[in-house]
Amino acid sequence: MTERFPKGDAEADRAGASDTNSPLLEVDGLETHFPITTRWLRREVGRIRAVDGVSFAIDRGEAFGLVGESGSGKTTAAHSILGLEEPTGGAVRFDGQLVDELTGWELQQFRRRAQLVVQNPDDAFNPRLPVGKSVAEPLALHGMDDEERRRAIVADLLERVGLEATDANRFPHEFSGGEKQRLSIARALVVNPDLIVADEPTSALDGRVKADVLSLLDELRREFDIAVLCISHDIDVVRRFCDRVGVMYLGELVERGETEAVLESPAHPYTRVLIGSIPSLDPSDRSLVRPLTETVPAPSDPPSGCRFHPRCQELIPPTASLEREDWRAIARFRFALQEGTVPEPIAVDSGTRVDPETVRDAFDLPTDLPNEGIEDAVEAATRAVADGDLERARERLAESLSTVCERTQPEAGDECEHLVRCHRYDSTIEAEPIPWRG
Amino acid sequence: MSAGDDPQRFEDVDWTELERSRRTVTPARAVFVAGLALFGALLALQAAAVVPNWGFDHLDWITALGALVVLSFGVVPALEHHALARRVLRELLSRPLRGAAAVFLGVFAIVAALGPVVLGSPDLAFEHRFHAPYGFTGADRWHAECLGDIVEGEGITRYCEGTLQYPLGTNERGHPMGHLLVEGASVTLTVLVFTAAFVVPLATAVGVLAGVRGGAVDDLLMSYVDVQLCVPAIVAFFIGYMYWNVSLALLLVTFGLLSWGGIARLVRSETLQRRDDGYVLIARSLGGSWTYVAKRHVVPNITNTLVPAAFHLLALLVLVEAGVAFLGFHHVELYSWGSTVQEGLDPEFAGIGLEMQPHEIWWVSTFPALALTLTIASLKLIGDGLRDALDPRL
Repeated sequence: MTERFPKGDAEADRAGASDTNSPLLEVDGLETHFPITTRWLRREVGRIRAVDGVSFAIDRGEAFGLVGESGSGKTTAAHSILGLEEPTGGAVRFDGQLVDELTGWELQQFRRRAQLVVQNPDDAFNPRLPVGKSVAEPLALHGMDDEERRRAIVADLLERVGLEATDANRFPHEFSGGEKQRLSIARALVVNPDLIVADEPTSALDGRVKADVLSLLDELRREFDIAVLCISHDIDVVRRFCDRVGVMYLGELVERGETEAVLESPAHPYTRVLIGSIPSLDPSDRSLVRPLTETVPAPSDPPSGCRFHPRCQELIPPTASLEREDWRAIARFRFALQEGTVPEPIAVDSGTRVDPETVRDAFDLPTDLPNEGIEDAVEAATRAVADGDLERARERLAESLSTVCERTQPEAGDECEHLVRCHRYDSTIEAEPIPWRG
Repeated sequence: MSAGDDPQRFEDVDWTELERSRRTVTPARAVFVAGLALFGALLALQAAAVVPNWGFDHLDWITALGALVVLSFGVVPALEHHALARRVLRELLSRPLRGAAAVFLGVFAIVAALGPVVLGSPDLAFEHRFHAPYGFTGADRWHAECLGDIVEGEGITRYCEGTLQYPLGTNERGHPMGHLLVEGASVTLTVLVFTAAFVVPLATAVGVLAGVRGGAVDDLLMSYVDVQLCVPAIVAFFIGYMYWNVSLALLLVTFGLLSWGGIARLVRSETLQRRDDGYVLIARSLGGSWTYVAKRHVVPNITNTLVPAAFHLLALLVLVEAGVAFLGFHHVELYSWGSTVQEGLDPEFAGIGLEMQPHEIWWVSTFPALALTLTIASLKLIGDGLRDALDPRL
């Protein structure tokens, strides 16, 4: 684990607090691991690496998007930034100050200036309180004792987010999802924050309502110069709303840059899968980008090296002599065996032997590979699979098909203007980035 | 609207002006502390024996403390949030059966609290034993003088008509039944106050704490509850009965403090379902403490489970008290409904050589049994009624 908050740095940060050019929110190597404990005595037996070294910065008034599939650690990252989960490592700076070290009045100010909009509008409001009370709760918690004034502020605010002042007396169940999300935004806005963390603000809403809520959030952001950390699994939301975007996979940030650059010419293979998985409106375009294998590894036991490597279409081959398609087929064969997802014709459990040709066909394995070592390995593995010995096949393949992607963790690539954590963008590794075909 | 400093617009609030106030003096706490001070003064008076032959026993102190807790943390907050209290009350009274139950319990509480003070202890009047209620007749033998008219029956049987002097009749000691009902109600009210003031809050606090904190705290508390659920309260009571004086306080402490495990578990599981809800996250991200979250967000949202369970426990403990008294393990000076029923069913008449069948003196057992039944039914009805009235979705 990285050493937490070296003292010298912290002091330097304090000094830099007055510097208005520094970003509003700076997340540096954030790590949040959850221990897996035994029932008995709560001994730690493992860790779920929900967030594992995420860094980004958000400027004042900027909208930053965090995308990734469910389970990639986006929400945990957001909660760790707000102090709802205790980070296990890294640093979060708000206005130049380490959030972890804030106390008293300063902490209170951070809690006021950074607001959360939660994902599900249905549980965002206490069902037993009239929504006016819920929207006024931040005011009350931040010391506004004058109930009349709270009521007046909330009434004014409700009208400005497109609701009516009298709605304050109604209960949450009387509102639609879109209205509740407007109320959520009103509640976040009521203490005049500098940062709103919006966790999937529109995932529970349908098209029209989604667009309305997004444009409301966008308007308010521009009017009050509020930075927004927008967490979403929906590329479309990020495209419409965010200035910059970070792509998360299994707790790590794999790509980060200007929204347009990242979405128009995604560099990281995972970003490409994410963008390619949106069905196109053009019916002739059937080229959904699929990952090599479908199973997302568990964050308690992430793959070595680059975490995306078992699913990566652009996995770097051990030798340059292989055709790309051949290599993909072999890699798919290898990682499918590793996961244990073997296609239908090879029923391993039944104990019946199949013939190696069936195995080759089932995995579309190429023949006559130029590289002898690999040819041998594939040959041996197919035979092992035909015999029903998956373990031997796995070992044989792992031995001869070792790639840089599984051996070393990629650093930020230098062959791209924005951050890409992929070996293909590392000039010290002999593999060229594959151009994006859009 | 001026852009500068409109106090009613959120962007014009000057946050440096607002210091979070920490209200330590709430009306509830003020009442509670004032009550405690009063108790302290009374205790000092009692210790100094300023007034001769005056003093409270343990049970009185426990009841008074319970009443103070209910007053300061139940009645005072209800008055503070009078709009909500009025809405709940209106909702409760709008359904005839629940309304009737609420009225019954209200009358019951007033009678039970004031009755014994007004009536004092019932006097022995052996000459008026087994007098029938007004409008009914009872067997008239040589055992007592008949206050009403005497009706001739078959052969040598004669019947004595009830009179208005004892409208509900009398038992074998000539205690008026009405008076005994009031005495029994006062015992029952003691049980209710104790349970509502100590047992239910304890169960809720433990359940919420376990659910909200999780981890080792949860493990520890729930293991304790498991152990506690294995100890039969009646055994603890009988052990106490063997070694100390029998008293209602002993019954309350053993049964009350050993019977909350089930509610604590319910509350815990409900809390677990709510601790990750959006509004809890928001409150925490705003800097709300766990105590705040529990009071404002968790407890109000588990009333659907908690309120009926708490009222069930109240009814159960009332029944347990009556049952234990029925078995005869009660303090002889307390006229519990249970012991009165028992006297009506199995009258002992040492030395008077009289035998009477229970059905001949039916009023002795029927009236307290009826009161018990009505009280328990009312508690159940009000439990369900409060649950519905507290939920704005219903």
